[in-house]
Amino acid sequence: MKRQHSNWEHARMRNTTLTSFGPTRTLLGIAATMVMAIGPQLTVAQPAPQGPPPPGAGFPAPGGQPPADFQGPPPGIQGPPRGGPGDGVLAQLGPPPGPVLTPAQKLVAALPPPAPGGMPPRPPLPADAAMPSADRHDLQGTWIHNLPLAFRSQNDMYGAAAPYTMAGAKVIARRVQSLKDGKPFTNASALCRPPGPQWQFDLNFPFQIMQAKDRLEFIFEEYHGRWTILLDPAKAAIPARKSYMGTSVGHWDGNTLVVETGDFRQAIWMDVDGTPLSANGKLIQRIRKVANAGQVPFLEVVTTIVDPANYTAPWSIVRTYGWNPYLALFTEYNCEEQIGDPGVKADAGLVAEPKD
Amino acid sequence: MGTRSNRPRTALRTLLSGVALAIGITGFGVAQAAVPNLEGVWQIATPTSQMKPVAGQVPFTPDGRKAYDANRKLQAQGKFDDYDITLSRCSNPGVPRLALTPLRFKIWQRQNVVTFDYEWNRALRQINLGVPPQPDFLGLGLVPTMTGKSNGHWEGDTLVSVMDGASDRTLIDDLVPHDYDLKVTERYRLIAPDTLEDRITIEDPGMFTTAWDAVVIYKRQPDVIFAEDVCLDRIDAKQPAFPK
Repeated sequence: MKRQHSNWEHARMRNTTLTSFGPTRTLLGIAATMVMAIGPQLTVAQPAPQGPPPPGAGFPAPGGQPPADFQGPPPGIQGPPRGGPGDGVLAQLGPPPGPVLTPAQKLVAALPPPAPGGMPPRPPLPADAAMPSADRHDLQGTWIHNLPLAFRSQNDMYGAAAPYTMAGAKVIARRVQSLKDGKPFTNASALCRPPGPQWQFDLNFPFQIMQAKDRLEFIFEEYHGRWTILLDPAKAAIPARKSYMGTSVGHWDGNTLVVETGDFRQAIWMDVDGTPLSANGKLIQRIRKVANAGQVPFLEVVTTIVDPANYTAPWSIVRTYGWNPYLALFTEYNCEEQIGDPGVKADAGLVAEPKD
Repeated sequence: MGTRSNRPRTALRTLLSGVALAIGITGFGVAQAAVPNLEGVWQIATPTSQMKPVAGQVPFTPDGRKAYDANRKLQAQGKFDDYDITLSRCSNPGVPRLALTPLRFKIWQRQNVVTFDYEWNRALRQINLGVPPQPDFLGLGLVPTMTGKSNGHWEGDTLVSVMDGASDRTLIDDLVPHDYDLKVTERYRLIAPDTLEDRITIEDPGMFTTAWDAVVIYKRQPDVIFAEDVCLDRIDAKQPAFPK
């Protein structure tokens, strides 16, 4: 019996295809487009901290307003002339020299900037909401991204340009250009395959962590994804076939879970724009639960990217994920229905990426 | 999940209750209140692709019979995408068909949600035991899904789940159709420490003249790491959606 009812994925497409990237982008990252459509003005991460501000809170938050007593630009940023003593000399000197970029980094820096990422508003957790375990070695529970999303990571967590090799720079440049041309390249996400741990972590969908002595299991709403971290790989029956999500082995370094992920089945896109990681690349994730007094706990994940094929040196990015037990009930994610729909062009307008 | 202060006590109470059967086997910490613990790895005891009524035949209405016969014809013709997008596209089989999944699945009881974490294609299905409604800015909740909405509660040692809101693009099993009005009531309970029973009641007045019951039994399996299963890779390789 043939049925032609619209499905929820189509509804998502209708509701979320509001970006300049067109419908093909919908398949690339439904959540990404959703967040972009909502825009940064609605950005609300976790509920406002109820405790004292964290160290360094006197500086303006990214995208926020400077404190009332702020007298000028932050160090290293040229401000407008102020007419004070010595300003003439400063004007003659010009702006402080920026970092020296390699030709590869110049190529990446010249790309159109990634789309801004926002976050949909979320209500604050009620006062009686269950909190995670106080045990810093127990990461169990439900978490969700609480920073504006990054659709392309081309700077490290300190703001420095990613140390692209020329080969890596050409890959990301090609992918960004394909978006500009309206002919984006196909990738695991667009084909409803597991997109790899970094992409999986980098969109606006919740995930749950289950934990045992010998492993942690993450299940993600997005792509109904699953990621396993082995804590005792010598005793684990590791599946023989390489996986899209790679193989991940972790150990505790104090209160930080250090995870090394590699052995990927194929090269992965680390984000929606296609920041590359080769199949032989590694991700080193340092995951810790931060629970400052009076504040809703969050997970901090510092990911170091090690991939000589694309980067001249390891570089790191950071993300945080807020605790939210009310997101333990996932919305169904069923991209398979959409991918196979003969009413949708099989590749949804995507084109195969040229091989290097 | 318990609060910081009561969690260890809750876990202890669960252990002492004698129903935390999964703890010693999986080693996963359990953060649910003292209710029967269904956590663990399970697999259908007698693999089948058919949801067999406990008694008699499936009580089709004339429309139900017509749709069923049409599906049989399409199956014989190999036109799977015209009636079964699980076979043709790896779409989530939905409820109750997931109950017949031949591969293993894990049950997690966490944070007022029972999650069925399937080995097959990493499929998920959840039963809400008390998570309050959350903002739905895009109205996604208005659109039927393959797994619908399952609300559950405990009746003694039995987890009772009532599912509705399912898309009509799923099937009861590999052939039996349903409509938007499908209501599936499931009663999960441990009938032995390593045996899980799912008594399923299926109602859909457009397709069935009366409610009908089926029973599926699962056996506990050793704790294991599921390999990454990607059904679409099988389809691309011209293999069946469900591995033999």
